[in-house]
Amino acid sequence: MSNSAFQSQWTRWTAFLAVALFGLLLRLPQLGARPMHTDEAVNAYIVGQLLAGENYTYDPQDRHGPALAALAFPLAKLQGAKAFAELTESELRITSVLAGTVTILLFGAAVEMFGFVPCLIGALLFAVSPLPVYYGRYFIHESIFVAATFGLIVTGWRAHQTHSAPLGALAAACAALVLVSKETAVLHFFALTAAAFVFWLWNLRRTHLGNLWRPKAALPALAVFVLLSVILFTWFGSNWSALPALLHAVPKLLARAGGEGHQKPFWYFSRLLIGGWSGGLISALACIGLFLALRKRDPSPYGFLAFYAIFLVVIHSSIPYKTPWLALNFWLPIALFAGLALKSLWSIPATTPALRIAIPAYCILVGGIAAVLIARDTHQRVFALPADETNPYAYAQTTEDLLGLPALIELVAHQNALAAPRIAVIASDPWPLPWYLRHYSQVGFWQPGQQVGQADFYITSTEAADQYGDQLKDLHPDFFGVRPGVLIVLWSPAPK
Amino acid sequence: MKILVKNLAVLTALLVTIAAVAQDKVPLKTKLPPPLFVGTPVPLNVTNLERPTRSKRPDFMVPAGTANLARNKKVSSSDNNPIVGTLDMIDDGDKDGNEGSWVELGPGKQWAQIDLAKSANIYAVLVWHFHSQARVYRDVVVQVSDDPTFRAGVATIFNNDFHNELGLGAGKDLNYVETYQGKLIDAKGVKGRYVRFYSNGNTANKLNDYIEAEVWGKPAA
Repeated sequence: MSNSAFQSQWTRWTAFLAVALFGLLLRLPQLGARPMHTDEAVNAYIVGQLLAGENYTYDPQDRHGPALAALAFPLAKLQGAKAFAELTESELRITSVLAGTVTILLFGAAVEMFGFVPCLIGALLFAVSPLPVYYGRYFIHESIFVAATFGLIVTGWRAHQTHSAPLGALAAACAALVLVSKETAVLHFFALTAAAFVFWLWNLRRTHLGNLWRPKAALPALAVFVLLSVILFTWFGSNWSALPALLHAVPKLLARAGGEGHQKPFWYFSRLLIGGWSGGLISALACIGLFLALRKRDPSPYGFLAFYAIFLVVIHSSIPYKTPWLALNFWLPIALFAGLALKSLWSIPATTPALRIAIPAYCILVGGIAAVLIARDTHQRVFALPADETNPYAYAQTTEDLLGLPALIELVAHQNALAAPRIAVIASDPWPLPWYLRHYSQVGFWQPGQQVGQADFYITSTEAADQYGDQLKDLHPDFFGVRPGVLIVLWSPAPK
Repeated sequence: MKILVKNLAVLTALLVTIAAVAQDKVPLKTKLPPPLFVGTPVPLNVTNLERPTRSKRPDFMVPAGTANLARNKKVSSSDNNPIVGTLDMIDDGDKDGNEGSWVELGPGKQWAQIDLAKSANIYAVLVWHFHSQARVYRDVVVQVSDDPTFRAGVATIFNNDFHNELGLGAGKDLNYVETYQGKLIDAKGVKGRYVRFYSNGNTANKLNDYIEAEVWGKPAA
C-alpha cells in the first residue's frame, strides 16, 4: 500500500469510526427507559432460557430465527447476567445498538461501491435520524437483519468484482446471518436477485459478465451459507427438528402476509418515512438520488441499489402485513441516495462567480436545515415520547402505565408481609407480563377457562375476570393499560 | 316459576315508575355521542368491578325541572395551559370522541372545576374523559362545594382513589372503563356552586383528558 493510499484509508476510517462512535453514543442514553414491547419481551424470555442452560429451539410461529438470541446471549453473559430475572432492558437492547453501530461502519466499507461523500452522508444520516436510532434501540431482529443485508451487498459486490473466495465466503456468511435473523430474508434475496438481473439487463446492457460461475469461489460460499444456517437453526446440532420446522414456516409466513391484524394500506411505509419534520426532506433527497441513478443508466452500483430499493418498496408495500420497523430496511438505500443527491448538488458545475457561492451556500443551508429537523425528530420520537401513542414508531407499544403493576404488587405484598407472593396470570395473551413479573418466583400463567389455584394476586384480562368471580370477589381491582386500548386487571388483597 | 319472575319484574318496574311519579321524578335525558370502539370491554360478572355498559344505561331518575347547569359555564383548572384544547371544551356540549373534542391536562394529579354561577341542588354528574379506546382514568374524584378553593364545605360524590394518591382520602367507588355513555354519578341532591373533577392520568398515559362534563340539578332555593 502506497503512502497516499494509506493516508486515504486512515482518513476514511477515522471519519467513519467517528460517525459510528457518535451513532453509538446517541443510541445509549435512557436505553432501558421505554417499556418492553411484547416482541422484545418474547426475545428476552428466549435469552433467559439460554441463561438457564436450555437450548434454543427454533419456533416458526412468531419467533423468527436464532441470530438475535445467539448474539444477545453472550453479550448478556458478558454484562454479568446469570438468569432471566437478572436481565435488564439495557443489557438486551445493547445487542441492537451494536448491530446499528456496525451498520454505520459498513458505510465505510461501501466507499468503493458508492463513493466517499455519499457514504459519509449516508452514515451520518443512519447514525442520527429518528427511525434508525429508534429501532436501533429495540430488542428485535431488525437491526441485525439490516446490518447483515448491508454486509451481504458490500461483500457480495466486492466478491463479484474480485472473484475472491474469502470475500465470497464472507458474503455467504452475511446471507446466512440474514436468513438466521428472519425468515423474511427470502423476500430480500428475491429483491437482490431481481435487482441484479434488471441491473444487468438495463444498466450493463446485457454485457458479457465473464465467467460468473467459478466453482472455486462459489462452492465454498455455498458451503459456508448452508453450514452456518444449519449450525444456528439447529443450535449447534442440538435440535435437528428445526430444519423441517423451517419449511413449515413457509405456510405460516404466507398466512401472516395476509395481515393477521397488522394489515395496512399500500402507502403505509411512504407515509411513515415522510412523516415528522425531517422525513419529507430526507425522502425528497433520496428520491432525487434515486432519479439520478435511474436516469444515468450507468453501470455503477447505484443502478443496482436503485432497483433493489424499488423491488423492496414494492414487495413490502404490496404485502398487507406491515409493521413500522420493517421500514428500517428501506433506510440503507434512503441514506445512500440522499448522500448521492447532496453530493451531486455540491458538484453542479459553477459556471458563474455567483453560482460558485450560491451552490455551496445552498448545500450548507440544506444540510443545516436537515440537521435541525432531524435533531428535533430524534429528540421527540426517541427520547421525549418513545412510548407515546402519537409516536408513529411506537407500534402496539407497551404503555408506561404497565410499569406501575409490578410496583403496586411490590407495595401491597410488603403491606401484607408477603415475602414471595403467589401471582396467577389469566389471559389468552399474557405478554409482556412474563418480563415484568420476572423477579417473582411464584408466577403462573393460565388460559381463560382453566382451573386456577389459590394465589395472593391475580392478573386477568377483562374478559377472563368474568369466569373467576368467586376467587376475585374479595380482592381489589386496579386496571392497567398494556397497549393502547388493551387493559388488564390486577386483583390485590386489601392491606392488612 | 317463570311466570312468577315475569310478574315480579313487571311489579318492580311499576313500583319504580309509581315512586318516581310520586316524587315528581323524570328520566335524565342527555344526548349521547356515537360509540367509537367496540369489542372491549365485555361485561364483567365480578361484584367488586364495575360492569361496563354494553347496552344503553338504565334510566336515571331526577326531579322534574332538572337541567344541565354546567353548559358553557366558567371552567378553571390546576393546569391553565392544557396540552391539547381549551378548558371551555369541558362544558361546550360536544361529546364526540374524536380528536378536536377534548381538552388534555398535564401529567399526574390534575383537576378541572366548573363554576355553576349559583348554588344548586345537584342530582347527577356525567363525565366523559375519553371514549375512542378502552381506558381507565385513575383516581377519579368528584367533589361539590360552595367554596371555590374547596377548603370548606366539601362533599365528595365519587371517589375511586383506593390508594389515596390524591390525598383526599381513600375512596371505595369502583374503577370503570370509559365508554361513549360517560360516567354517571348519583349526586343525591347535594348543594353547591362549584364542581371539581380530579384525576391522575390513565391507563394509556399520564395525561388527563376531558371531553365533556354535565352537572344536572336545579338552582338552590
